[in-house]
Amino acid sequence: MKNSFDEKILDEAKDWITANQSVVLATVIQTWGSSPRAVGSRMIVNDKGDFSGSVSGGCVETAVVRECLGLLKENKACKKIEFRVSNESAWEIGLACGGEIAIFLEQIN
Amino acid sequence: MKKQLLNEIIEKKRNKIEFAIVTNLDNGKSYIFEKDKSVDKNIEEHKDKISFYFDKKKNGIIEGTNIFVENYIRPIKVFIVGAVHIAQYLVNFVKSLNFEISIIDPRGYFASEQRFPDIRIINKWPKEALEENKLDQNTALIALTHDPKIDDPALQYAIKNNFFYIGALGSKKTHENRRKRLKEAGFKDEEIKRIYGPIGIKLGGRSAPEIALSIIAQLVSETYKRL
Repeated sequence: MKNSFDEKILDEAKDWITANQSVVLATVIQTWGSSPRAVGSRMIVNDKGDFSGSVSGGCVETAVVRECLGLLKENKACKKIEFRVSNESAWEIGLACGGEIAIFLEQIN
Repeated sequence: MKKQLLNEIIEKKRNKIEFAIVTNLDNGKSYIFEKDKSVDKNIEEHKDKISFYFDKKKNGIIEGTNIFVENYIRPIKVFIVGAVHIAQYLVNFVKSLNFEISIIDPRGYFASEQRFPDIRIINKWPKEALEENKLDQNTALIALTHDPKIDDPALQYAIKNNFFYIGALGSKKTHENRRKRLKEAGFKDEEIKRIYGPIGIKLGGRSAPEIALSIIAQLVSETYKRL
């Protein structure tokens, strides 16, 4: 897919920032095997843990929110995280589809 | 990502400019890449590769680097002829998709702003309206009036300019008559066959929102065939 259908997550990020919220952007940068969302899929998380958009079919979003909040707390600019079936936390948040994804987290500041 | 860059991205999207966001995954710095424009010195060494991804509309990490490329593609233009009931539902469904909608209807009482808030309405005859937009094959036409004097000139224009999707509302009988008229106007069978008539995929419903849904389903499916 060539991403011609824009989900307007960046537009929403701008609205959140205009409302003085701290925002972390999460982007799928790499996939292996059958992953639910394509490279370039996005979600945003604010300092309260609210989120919009998606990086999987609901499989890892909770963990991504946690990671994003951690990034804000430590005030780090960016971080790369990966999810795979063999992940030690697979019981809780693994990808049921058997795929693997890499996600890039970055603060918008 | 810097707030300023986010604003620039949204501005470019609003102006329907095609570009790529290039991110260095080591430090999180992002840059905008546009064809035939100067490239930021921080990503200059990857210029050829970025250009390759941009041309192919490919998203991903450039192999052997920590450079991530994501492309933004201009939305597809969709012209709806006939500001009728089905068009109101079409407009609603399409809001969450990346289509740029315009409605053409010379009948002012149909194409009113009150019926279609926030949508570009062209209150002209289709031929004139389409001609002044200089359209190419990245365009779709949905003809909904089943009135030959309004629909036919639009269909003829769409065929001549090779629109990637052309659909026309009407029963099989209406479409057969339409086919005959186009043939008499000098169009070849294979050209006329490019029109989806009766329009839409078969869902079974006959209400205005159901017909609108079947049209959108067909349009999206044809869009992916083209990409």
